[in-house]
Amino acid sequence: MSAPLIEASEITKHFGSVKALTGLSFRVMPGEIYGLLGPNGAGKTTTIKLITGLVEPTSGSVTVEGFNPIKHSIEVKSRIGYVAEKPILYESLSSRDFLEFVASIRKIDQKAVNHIVTQLADAFDMEKYFDAPIATLSMGMKQKVALIASLVHQPPILLLDEPLSGLDAKSSRIVKDLLSLHTQKGGAVLFSTHIMEVAEHLCTRIGIIYQGKLVAEGTLDQLKSKTGNKNETLENLFLKLTNEEAEVADKTRLLGDVFFKNEAV
Amino acid sequence: MKLFEAWRLSRLPYKEVVYRSIAEERGRMWWGSFGRRGLGGDAQNDYELTKKALRIAKFDKTLVAIFNVLAAVIPFTAQLLGSPILGLTSAIVLSLAVTFGFTALYSIQTLSSFVSAESSALLSTLPLEQHDFSMITLFSFIRSVDYMAVGAIASQVLMVAYYTLSPFAVLAMFLASVVNVVLAVAVALWFSRIFTKNLSRGGRSRGNTVLRLFFILMWGSLLMGVSLLISLPWYIVPSLEMTILSSNQLSAMFLSLLYQFSAGITVTSISRSVTAGSTQLIAAFSMLGYAVVAGFAGKWVLTTVKRISHGTDVKASAVTTKDFSIKTRKPLLGYVLKDLKISSRNPTTAFFFALPILETVIVSLMIVNFEVLRASTLLVLTFMGGVFVLLMPLALLSAEGTGLEYTKTLPMNVNRIITSKTLISTLTYMPVPLVLLLMALVKPLSSPFALFIPFSVILSIASASVFEIQLFLGSVTKGKIAGLLHDLKKLVFGFATLTIPLAAYAVAFLISFSHIFAVLAMGGASASELALAIHLLKRNKK
Repeated sequence: MSAPLIEASEITKHFGSVKALTGLSFRVMPGEIYGLLGPNGAGKTTTIKLITGLVEPTSGSVTVEGFNPIKHSIEVKSRIGYVAEKPILYESLSSRDFLEFVASIRKIDQKAVNHIVTQLADAFDMEKYFDAPIATLSMGMKQKVALIASLVHQPPILLLDEPLSGLDAKSSRIVKDLLSLHTQKGGAVLFSTHIMEVAEHLCTRIGIIYQGKLVAEGTLDQLKSKTGNKNETLENLFLKLTNEEAEVADKTRLLGDVFFKNEAV
Repeated sequence: MKLFEAWRLSRLPYKEVVYRSIAEERGRMWWGSFGRRGLGGDAQNDYELTKKALRIAKFDKTLVAIFNVLAAVIPFTAQLLGSPILGLTSAIVLSLAVTFGFTALYSIQTLSSFVSAESSALLSTLPLEQHDFSMITLFSFIRSVDYMAVGAIASQVLMVAYYTLSPFAVLAMFLASVVNVVLAVAVALWFSRIFTKNLSRGGRSRGNTVLRLFFILMWGSLLMGVSLLISLPWYIVPSLEMTILSSNQLSAMFLSLLYQFSAGITVTSISRSVTAGSTQLIAAFSMLGYAVVAGFAGKWVLTTVKRISHGTDVKASAVTTKDFSIKTRKPLLGYVLKDLKISSRNPTTAFFFALPILETVIVSLMIVNFEVLRASTLLVLTFMGGVFVLLMPLALLSAEGTGLEYTKTLPMNVNRIITSKTLISTLTYMPVPLVLLLMALVKPLSSPFALFIPFSVILSIASASVFEIQLFLGSVTKGKIAGLLHDLKKLVFGFATLTIPLAAYAVAFLISFSHIFAVLAMGGASASELALAIHLLKRNKK
């Protein structure tokens, strides 16, 4: 059996008095798309930041291809492609300037990088926006630039925090297909999403985080078997596992009482 | 909508503007998370960061307003030492000129965000009348300069009331002060629009690049020109007043046409006759003319603000391309180029690129008057050139802004950031030794060894940059005063690094009366500083 590309073991992260993560453990193997699901503030982004080395764990350990993200920051960052939840880029640079900067820092061969950038920029319909300052781009366009930047060095591991937010249908499909291709070639993807349909169709394994703890993990079938209903949708499954199903029903009923009273009128 | 309601609502877009100007452009607070102590702390807490940005903004605004009031009042206090009427024209002219420069400079820093940011985007989703919407945007614009404008106007009016006890003079001063602020803000808005329009223009053709470069140099020179308004009048205005009082009517009449002088002469003349009647008449008409110009400027500001609120002011032009090729470079060169690009496209840092020109002009002008280039002259000129450069590393760091969040995800050591900024800062200093070298070809030197002074300081400039950036990266400050002190500490360190080798030269020369020995002492001090800087960089690698 091959070694995991990402391994988190008993990681805990506290921000002052806030416990963001508690004893989180999981592995991402080569060829896997691991979906990290959880409500807002569950700890998904913190988990991804811990793997990139942007945040240091309070306790526990994380390894990326055997490297510690804090001690071996350069090795880890060379092996990952990361897209943040909010695409924070150098706003005054154009997409071209920005990608030149990223490719230079990553020491990528010019010919190879040009091939990748040309293919991706063309696929993402960036003709009108490639030389415009990033500040003037829409959220979706910024996301595309961040995605291209995460792929230019063809990393074995992709860490994507809500990678499809803001993307149009065509680009969203391209990204999903790319992720599948990437894992077919032995790469690994860890991504967080709120869109259950995406996770349902794309992920080979899913981890559900709730209040900083991993409450369930497995393939979609394994998770469904936990509820005893094989026809359960991931959304229902998610709400059940995060104990939010009853709360959602209550709140919807209450909202129904408040709104749409005048519908008949 | 009532005015008060619009004023209250305008806090929202105003906060967005100041938040952006600090968080995205100056970026000071984001830097904390790169330091070891800040790792994983502040980076997570966006709410705290936002609050911190707004606190800094309020503190900055208050501090700048206090400075502006001081700048407005100080010229008047000088009269306590002399004749109360003789110097009143000078005092008014100085006060108006300095507050004009100050207001314009500060406005440029915040208004760039006002023009470029979608500051009103949130409000545009609300069911507001177009008129109310424009009014809220206008008020949020006014909030950017309210403290300093009110402070300057009130202090100038009070000072004139104190010295003249004339209600008409007070009224005239009030008009002059308002006109002064309106013109300063209009100039700042005009600058900011030009900058944003230039930045929004896409394209990478050679023509566009040259145009951008030209614009940056023009921007730098203009901003430097406005900055000179803060310091220059102190030297030239008093002597110009003598011209007004002199019998040379033509010069006096010419001066009375200039805005600040027209106001100064008019206000003073109301309480006592200080110059010829014709000059006073011209000054009064001239002041009225400027008031009309200010009226038009104010109207233009209103229209522009309205256009901004409708989102029709600055539009990006899309340039279609099919060529997606990029050029890769060595990592350090890649970082340097990125630094140059982002800082030259940031309105608050771009004018630093005019530094080499300014250094060349200042050093050349100062040296022209000397028959012989003495070591002491070279020490002073080198020091002056170096002091300018000390601001460069901090400006480059500020320009990084939030983009640094991305850089942290790239496989690179923090030394690359330091080296890149150090290289740029050191290159900015290079005109100083080169100008001095050229001057040495046409002017005799007291000792050929003294020519080593500006070159030896290159090492100190590099070391000072390393120390300043290391200090910037190495710690997180909490609280306003701590932040301010920390900023000062960086500059004091840079200042000391620059001064030590120059002092070593002076001391060694005074002891030995030998230029060779002095140069060796200076070289030794500079080399030691560089060794310490390299040691610090090596420690970062561990």
